[in-house]
Amino acid sequence: MLARRMQPMAFQARRLYVELMFQVMGNALQAISEIDSTVREEAKSLPEGFLFEMMVMPNGAKLIIEHLGEGRFRYHRGQAPRPVDLSIKFKHIAHAFLVLSFQEKTSVAFANDRMLVDGDISYAIRMTRVLNRLEAFILPRLIAERAIKEYPKNLHLPEKVLNAARIYLKVATQFVETVVA
Amino acid sequence: MTNKYYEFFCPVKVIAGKAALEHIPYELSGLGAQRPMIITDKGVRAAGLLEPVVAACEESDLEIVCIYDDVPPDSSTGVVRDIAKVYRSEKCDSIIAVGGGSAIDTAKAVNILVSEGGDDISEYAGAGVLKRALKPFFVVPTTAGTGSEVTAVAVIADTEKSVKLPFTSSFLLPNAAIIDPRMTLTLPPHITAATAMDAMTHATEAFTCMAKNPLSDAYATAAVKKISSSLLSVMDNPKDADGRLELAQASTMAGIAFSNSMVGLVHALGHATGAICHLPHGLCMSLYLPYVLEYNLESIRAPLSDLLLYLEGPEAYAATPANRRAEASIAAIRRLRDALYKHCKLPRTLKETGKVDESQLDAIAALALDDGSIMFNPREASLEDAQAILRKAWA
Ligand SMILES: NC(=O)c1ccc[n+]([C@@H]2O[C@H](COP(=O)([O-])OP(=O)(O)OC[C@H]3O[C@@H](n4cnc5c(N)ncnc54)[C@H](O)[C@@H]3O)[C@@H](O)[C@H]2O)c1
Ligand SMILES: [Fe+2]
Repeated sequence: MLARRMQPMAFQARRLYVELMFQVMGNALQAISEIDSTVREEAKSLPEGFLFEMMVMPNGAKLIIEHLGEGRFRYHRGQAPRPVDLSIKFKHIAHAFLVLSFQEKTSVAFANDRMLVDGDISYAIRMTRVLNRLEAFILPRLIAERAIKEYPKNLHLPEKVLNAARIYLKVATQFVETVVA
Repeated sequence: MTNKYYEFFCPVKVIAGKAALEHIPYELSGLGAQRPMIITDKGVRAAGLLEPVVAACEESDLEIVCIYDDVPPDSSTGVVRDIAKVYRSEKCDSIIAVGGGSAIDTAKAVNILVSEGGDDISEYAGAGVLKRALKPFFVVPTTAGTGSEVTAVAVIADTEKSVKLPFTSSFLLPNAAIIDPRMTLTLPPHITAATAMDAMTHATEAFTCMAKNPLSDAYATAAVKKISSSLLSVMDNPKDADGRLELAQASTMAGIAFSNSMVGLVHALGHATGAICHLPHGLCMSLYLPYVLEYNLESIRAPLSDLLLYLEGPEAYAATPANRRAEASIAAIRRLRDALYKHCKLPRTLKETGKVDESQLDAIAALALDDGSIMFNPREASLEDAQAILRKAWA
């Protein structure tokens, strides 16, 4: 725990940022699944009640999402109601920070061995595509292009749905500036 | 500073070249193994490939306790259970796989059961389930293609649930891979061509997909060079032992490359096609490789241009303007496919296989989108993209 004493601010800011980003993503994922047919189409083939988790190893922040059926997601705050079906685990908070601050694409992070998949790989691929689309929605285009492989051609969402997510995001990006600087 | 980061791992001892088989007894005894079981298939046995292995062992007083030669092309949980039963009743203590990807993958799964216990291999499916080393395990590849001897993966069909179970763990890797040119001399032309194109695809995808790294690049380019310079001469002269050894080594090198940097959309489409139309894996690779490279072209122009040096040699590379090299690489792969078609009728389009119906293309595209390999493809392929590639590959 030596490092934590040496750089307390930086460590705490990074941890807070990751937690906050998980919240932003959770809320936005639920909202977008209610409106965007592409996300729903992608999510439809997940089993009903399917629990997806993104977490930081060994016991860090978590994002838990449930598939309610018909491609709709619900964001669970706090703990999962039962054991999750699919978990994407960041090996270290530093790696989660790279991805969640959009410095590294999710698929690149997989390619770089920064995270592990626990569960069915084909579901993991679906969820990665859903997350990519989510990022395309909530991020300003310039940042989104850095964060995902290809910027989708068909993004039509009512502005007001996006606003909520973007407000969160603004808070979040201020964190990035503090921490990355 | 770039965010680039990578990992590279290959702990498999490679024993390659003339009289390599004769090293098996020494290697086994070094691990304290005395009662090996051979796992193989009927085709390999019929080709007479077990004799030199058994003779090499017996000459050193190492008795092969039993031989299981009934591995089917798509190995299943039931087959794995049966082999594990034989292993236990014969009190074996080690495994030698002799064969292509089918026998090797089966042997990896058998090694899980006989080391960890139980009868149900599906309990060990997934990544990271295994926590410790398994029984001594040796692989003698008899095809020059899958690179399975250096990959930490096995795929076994669960016939009851009709799903393919993936097993991933570095403990699946054999203690040694024995590459002896005698083992591939008997490969029929069609399988030689298809499996070599599998290796070519491993190297090409490893070199052009998202997880490429400097170490896997070195293996990938060396493999491409060996395949380009030896494949057609082996097709002309199947008994060319030097050429055979070049292909076998290339296959292992391509296996090392892709097991560290993964493959991409060619494999995603190929796995889906294999599952739906039951075409051999290497053939599927050959079918899709140029079309996927064309699809990825603008994302992979730089590495694909570099590949021309290894595909065509320094003169052709120097004579091609820099902005035409990527296209020239694709053209070289197409010429290789045309030559293989001439030699042994290795199909170049889905239609030429005579085993695919145009109405199946949409199902193949949908299944490909669920395949793990698609994650590392440099372009984000949508369902429409996959369908468009399949239509191009159709005829
Ligand atoms: N684990 C991995 O990393 C990995 C990678 C790619 C493919 N695979 C698996 O490998 C399998 C394909 O393997 P493959 O392409 O090596 O083919 P294979 O093992 O299925 O063999 C094909 C045929 O060739 C015959 N044969 C093999 N060697 C011979 C020889 N020297 N002389 C005469 N006949 C011979 C066999 O009897 C068989 O009938 C697929 O099931 C695929 O899923 C695994
Ligand atoms: Fe392959």
